[in-house]
Amino acid sequence: MIRRGGAPGPQTLIGIGLLAVAAVVIIGAIDFPSSSGYSGVGPNFLPWVVGIALLLCGVLVLWQARTGGYRHMQEPTGADHGYWPGFGWMSAGLLANAALITTIGFILSCSLCFALAVRGLRHADRHGGVAPVRGELAQTMRDLLIGMAIAAPVYWMFTKLLAINLPGLTSTGWI
Amino acid sequence: MDLWNQLLLGFATAATPINLLWCFVGCAVGTAVGVLPGIGPAVAVAMLLPITTKVDATASMIFFAGIYYGAMYGGSTTSILLNTPGETGSMITAMEGNKMAKSGRAGAALATSAVGSFIAGTIATVLVTMFAPLLADFAVKLGPPEYFMLMVLAFTTVSAVLGRSTLRGMVALFVGLAAGLIGMDQISGQARYTAGVPELLDGIEIVLVAVGLFAVAEALYAVLYEGGPPETQNKLSRVHMSRSDWRRSWPAWLRGTVIGFPFGTIPAGGSEIPTFLSYAAEKKFAKGENLDEFGTRGAIEGVAGPEAANNAAITATLIPLLTLGIPTSNTAAILLGAFQNYGIQPGPQLFTTSADLVWALIASLYIGNVMLLILNLPLVGLWVKLLKIPKPYLYAGILIFATVGVYGMRQSAFDLVLLYAIGLVGVVMRRYDFPTAPVVVGMILGPLAEAQMRNALSMGEGSWLIFVERPMSATLLAVVLAVLLLPRILRRFSASSSSAIAKRRKAT
Repeated sequence: MIRRGGAPGPQTLIGIGLLAVAAVVIIGAIDFPSSSGYSGVGPNFLPWVVGIALLLCGVLVLWQARTGGYRHMQEPTGADHGYWPGFGWMSAGLLANAALITTIGFILSCSLCFALAVRGLRHADRHGGVAPVRGELAQTMRDLLIGMAIAAPVYWMFTKLLAINLPGLTSTGWI
Repeated sequence: MDLWNQLLLGFATAATPINLLWCFVGCAVGTAVGVLPGIGPAVAVAMLLPITTKVDATASMIFFAGIYYGAMYGGSTTSILLNTPGETGSMITAMEGNKMAKSGRAGAALATSAVGSFIAGTIATVLVTMFAPLLADFAVKLGPPEYFMLMVLAFTTVSAVLGRSTLRGMVALFVGLAAGLIGMDQISGQARYTAGVPELLDGIEIVLVAVGLFAVAEALYAVLYEGGPPETQNKLSRVHMSRSDWRRSWPAWLRGTVIGFPFGTIPAGGSEIPTFLSYAAEKKFAKGENLDEFGTRGAIEGVAGPEAANNAAITATLIPLLTLGIPTSNTAAILLGAFQNYGIQPGPQLFTTSADLVWALIASLYIGNVMLLILNLPLVGLWVKLLKIPKPYLYAGILIFATVGVYGMRQSAFDLVLLYAIGLVGVVMRRYDFPTAPVVVGMILGPLAEAQMRNALSMGEGSWLIFVERPMSATLLAVVLAVLLLPRILRRFSASSSSAIAKRRKAT
């Protein structure tokens, strides 16, 4: 039986991913010294335990995925299928933010991230049957301004009031 | 009386204008994140962790604690008006509270949950004041083997007992433990899994993991799966309780407090179980007309009890956190991280080494509960306006705050890429029903547990028998085993007995 959000394909992939993580942990553990001084175990002990436990978990997850899917699953909330274009917009926003924050500063970079994410979310909404948005570009420009209206006070609060370093376009601490 | 003096000193520190301001802002932020769906106290505290680099320890702990219990007040508002619980602890409130709101009694439901939260929070604070120092006195006698076993108990309950699947809980726990391994080994100074990156020597930032798993994942999940028309909101009626509402709420508040408090002190993972138990108890105690209201028009006891239980449990989580250094909820785990940022290790010594901080924090709980009562009763209409924020702006706004938290902590743009990656992992975990709490608890508690284990072993000169030779540690080990095995044995037993009954039925 294939349940919602419980298709065996991704479940198997999760199992394989876990095995990969386990492999990384174990390969690392091989290199750590076992010298323990007075205590019976050294810095390699817990890595071995965690690595082997992850290996076991991975095998069990794989086994469950291949034999009818995960047990005692709670139905995930929301739609049966992901809305990938919206996801793409939000991902673009987050990654653009990471790429640009040091050059164009916190306020502009976050506003861009905000506008792109809002665009994705708006599309996702419409996807669900809400009235279409008119004038996409104008809307996004407006979102950009709203993003600035949120990001700027946050920026000032952190840089001016709390003296926490956030990158700016200029070194004035205002933008 | 010594206790009294210390509490008074605590009030003196907590009542300075600047600390009062932090307390108020914390309560307000807490109420806001409680009201807003998609963001909870754990992630709010995590996003604000950068302030620990600039603000002094007492002020920021007062602030964070305000967010923590403030969110419980706010969470009920959303549950009652939207039927989407703002917090997991207010899931039960959503059931009866929403029914009450639908039959035009939203105001009474909001009032009973605010007053109930206040009463339970205050009683629980009194209990914390009385029992935390006692427990700290006792905990001083515990050694590394006992601490290690307590932490194993916390791991077991948070991963194996609470979720629907032990396997998926364990996966989450060990992923958290693996993340906790990254960095410098506390005892030998050996660098582990740092891949030569110097920033990783200090380990992975808690902010990064918590904000990624809770905030970014939440936004990504919303855009992927939760597009669609917004939920309809129930109408807010005048916040007022009639004489009969008071009469029915009182016992429910007190019973809820009694049920909730003990659950907060044990590592049983927050407030889901006690709120559920309180609901069941209220239903059992109700008679006649009142009983008929359960599940139909909405019974006020079904809101009053669970809300009180919720707040009592949340306040009680401060006891294990402050006296043992063991977090029993997600937010408590992040509060532990905040203490660590100041180089303070919560534990029995905290009451002697940082007495000022602890007592100011406890005093601020009394003050904060009064502030929250005012914020949530006369001003509830203000918070309800937050529910009008369109969903796209809400989730996109969360991303801005996520950036502040993560970037503010370490000034690294690469962390923002990691944040996105952790967000993706969070989406997968949510979709495939992996719990997230064990990841955070494993990551924060893992290194501490490892250090305790190795200290214990060196006490025992390398012998593992040290864990069973000491009576306290052996008892805790037995509790861990019982927690792990009993539910299974009971399940098997009930399965076999029910199948036996079925067989007998077939035979006749």
